[in-house]
Amino acid sequence: MPAIQVLPDLLISQIAAGEVVERPASVLKEVLENALDAGASTVEVALDEGGVRRLRVADDGCGIARDDLPLALARHATSKITSLEDLEGVRSMGFRGEALAAIASVARLTLTSRIAEANEAWRISVPGGELAPAALARGTVVDVEDLYYATPARRKFLKSEPTEYGHCEDVFRRIALARPQVKLQLTRNGRIVHRWPGAAAAQRVAQVLGEEFTGAARALEVQAGPVALSGFVALPAYSRASRDAQYFFVNGRFVRDKLLTHAVREAYADILHEARHPAYVLALTLDPRAVDVNVHPAKIEVRFRDARGIHQFVYHALERVLAEPLAGAASAAAAPAAFHLPPPGAAPAQPRFQRELAVSEGGVTQAAQRYFDAFALPRTGTAPTLAPVTGFAPAALPAAGAALPLRPGAAAAAGAEQSEAEAAVPPLGYALAQLAGVYVLAQNRAGLVLVDMHAAHERILYERLKAVVEGMPAAQKLLIPAVVAVSARELATAEEHAATLDRLGFEVAPVGPQELALRSVPQLLVRAHLPDLLRALLEDLAEQPASRVIETRRNELLATMACHGAVRANRQLAPAEMNALLRDMEACERADQCNHGRPTWVQLSMAELDRLFMRGR
Amino acid sequence: MLLIKAPRNQLLQPLQAVAGIVEKKHTLPILSNVVVERAGEMLTLLASDSEIQIRSTTTAGLDQTNAAITVSARKLQDILRTLPENVDVTLDADERRLTVRAGKSRFTLQILPAEEFPRMRGGEGEPVEIQLKQNEFRSQLGLVQYAMAQADIRYYLNGMLMSVAGGQLRMVATDGHRLAYCSQPAQTPEPGIEVILPRKTVLELYRLLSDGDAPLTMRVWPSQVQFLFNEIELTSKLIDGKFPDYNRVIPPNHPKLLQLARAELAPALQRAAILTAEKLRGVRLVLAPGSLKLLSINTEQEEAQEELEVAYDGEGLDIGFNVTYLIDVLTHVDAENFDLRLNDANSSALFTLPGNDNFKYVVMPMRI
Repeated sequence: MPAIQVLPDLLISQIAAGEVVERPASVLKEVLENALDAGASTVEVALDEGGVRRLRVADDGCGIARDDLPLALARHATSKITSLEDLEGVRSMGFRGEALAAIASVARLTLTSRIAEANEAWRISVPGGELAPAALARGTVVDVEDLYYATPARRKFLKSEPTEYGHCEDVFRRIALARPQVKLQLTRNGRIVHRWPGAAAAQRVAQVLGEEFTGAARALEVQAGPVALSGFVALPAYSRASRDAQYFFVNGRFVRDKLLTHAVREAYADILHEARHPAYVLALTLDPRAVDVNVHPAKIEVRFRDARGIHQFVYHALERVLAEPLAGAASAAAAPAAFHLPPPGAAPAQPRFQRELAVSEGGVTQAAQRYFDAFALPRTGTAPTLAPVTGFAPAALPAAGAALPLRPGAAAAAGAEQSEAEAAVPPLGYALAQLAGVYVLAQNRAGLVLVDMHAAHERILYERLKAVVEGMPAAQKLLIPAVVAVSARELATAEEHAATLDRLGFEVAPVGPQELALRSVPQLLVRAHLPDLLRALLEDLAEQPASRVIETRRNELLATMACHGAVRANRQLAPAEMNALLRDMEACERADQCNHGRPTWVQLSMAELDRLFMRGR
Repeated sequence: MLLIKAPRNQLLQPLQAVAGIVEKKHTLPILSNVVVERAGEMLTLLASDSEIQIRSTTTAGLDQTNAAITVSARKLQDILRTLPENVDVTLDADERRLTVRAGKSRFTLQILPAEEFPRMRGGEGEPVEIQLKQNEFRSQLGLVQYAMAQADIRYYLNGMLMSVAGGQLRMVATDGHRLAYCSQPAQTPEPGIEVILPRKTVLELYRLLSDGDAPLTMRVWPSQVQFLFNEIELTSKLIDGKFPDYNRVIPPNHPKLLQLARAELAPALQRAAILTAEKLRGVRLVLAPGSLKLLSINTEQEEAQEELEVAYDGEGLDIGFNVTYLIDVLTHVDAENFDLRLNDANSSALFTLPGNDNFKYVVMPMRI
């Protein structure tokens, strides 16, 4: 039998490196986060051969004192936290004190740094570990060469240079979005790829994701007590075939968290086709003590103390912004009142945040401010050497708001100085005619509006049905209880959430260690496969604190009903009917998309029409 | 070879008896055909959906050699139906085609060989044979068949329980929300039998049985059943499953008794149903001394209220039901008066006929 031995230090680091330093991009992430934790306002990244041959990050942060340099490379050594209390309320990106040690165990690492008070810079290199004087104006330069030279086996798992570079660039983009005020530069094989000056959030989002995204996005800014959500969500028309434009930051940290993703997905559920993925940049800010970031090796997942509350908060905040009808955006004054209306009959289901929920209608400028503030976290004294983040120029903000291309309606709202005569024209204008029995043509301030009348009417009916059914959660009692075989975990979930289940129309009682008796079912779903429905619901309840399985299934049914009830193509509408449809659309939530996520109307502005005729050139 | 030469109705009637079970779409193409088989002077028509098979015979007229083919049931039926009533029809088959002639009309139809048609042969061993009267059996079916489930995953509910034991023929049907029960005295075998007839078999029997008191013979095997009546032989598989214990579902002593006249209750329910929410179909019954109110409200918040005078002086009650289930019993049971027994808002309602212990209808409430 082999004897048990304590492993040598280097091997321990190399094992840890397997988790922390998965690929060049993870090295970049760790080093970039160190730069941000050091309060840098300018960070330059240089990558050679996808970061494998060389990865260099230079910042102008607070630097590391000469005597601390060897310690910086030691395992479990950090300046970021000092006690368990610090760990429970981490405000810095890193805190474990193992990144540099892990990198040093698998690559040639040179660390050069100069603190503001010192007269000279110092350098330390591993392998070796000798301190030497060096030339550097300020900040820190981390130079990682020959990644995985020490663990050749690992090297074999690396992908091609473009792939590894792509991953690095993803990391770079995330950091760029998380810290819009930091000036960033990315160099690839000696060529500058990105150079982004410090900017307001809206500008940075436009820099990173393109004007197309910001043009299709709605700004969002919601605060409920200590929790705030801000950022930009793209309307369904800008949806993607992959998840590549999804950025969620929690206290400035990029996460890909199941709970948050689920909440976002749910918010889009009603307006986005299943196969499409929403695009968003969102920042959630909350008390660091209310979230545990120390649950995942790469900190990509987090745990919330009040998971249910956070889920509800995110869901409702997004749902409201996305539901805001086009008309609401234009007549902003009237909209907020509607936002505060609780869904009828849903009172017991209300999250505790909802009562405090206030959606600001301030438009992009305030949202940008909020978004920015979300990242400029106040720092407490855990790392006294860190300078507070500065460089935020308030004057830049209004410009940011103006620079952001907006939807016509929203622009009107932001401008807010329309003449009264113009304001009298409703956002979708007045109907002119019907085209081929399919489209309604209308004229509004901006020009021509084309409405797909079936799709629009379908959405209006659907929203009405939903509103009514929410107030009528009818449940049919079963003559013979349906016995459903469940796992012990599902049984526990059923007992824990008995009240929720009952409210949804499911009356369940355990009849054995692995069996549940179902005594009543929601009337609208009596034809459903009951065991499957119940198991899906329990699985969701176990996973997500606030399940919406029933709503989803019910809404599918209502959507079918709405489709059958909506006006068919080729029905001739009188002008009064067409105008009534337009007014209904303006008042209806989510009227911009039909139930399948397709647009219900498009605007052809006078400028676009003029272009067709080559006028005004 | 000539299969038959006969007046149109002599062929159409037996064809309609068998063609009702032919499914429009079937994975086995030959099952959309009907077997036309001549043996001596008799012509047999046979159709199947692989669960049920119906055979019907008629006299073929001229004496010819024996022959059998299969041909599209739907097309042959459509042709015969649209021909003039008294015209003589001949069916003539060669190797590949069937020719239908009537007056100056002529049709040639594609045929498939009869030996490829999958036939049900009756069960294994000696069946239990029971003699019944067609009209009695049919009217008893009518009292319960509407309560059968349709395409429920609890497959045993998609049918009707038939129990022949202890001098009683009992029929029970339920869809899990309501249950209909009916019992009649009958000659019963020893030991008794209890089987579940598939929904389609029940509906087909109800359609084919006549109102007269002609005999009906039922043969029961462990997994098959056969009904012989008129010129028809209907063979059906049985549903292999455990039917719920209906005795536990029928409430023995609900305290609140209402005596209701169908002439008043049925139209009132039908009016209230107009303003129930689509898909929900909920109607509230509000009971107070001397009064039974029916209340409904739809998704547009439109409301209906009906009030019936009732001889009742007990406690009040507010209970919801799916209005369809209430209307069902009133339309399918031919009686002037009903007794309705209730307990509380969570308990079932029991409909019975005054002075008659043989019929029971239980409905579970709906929380509105």
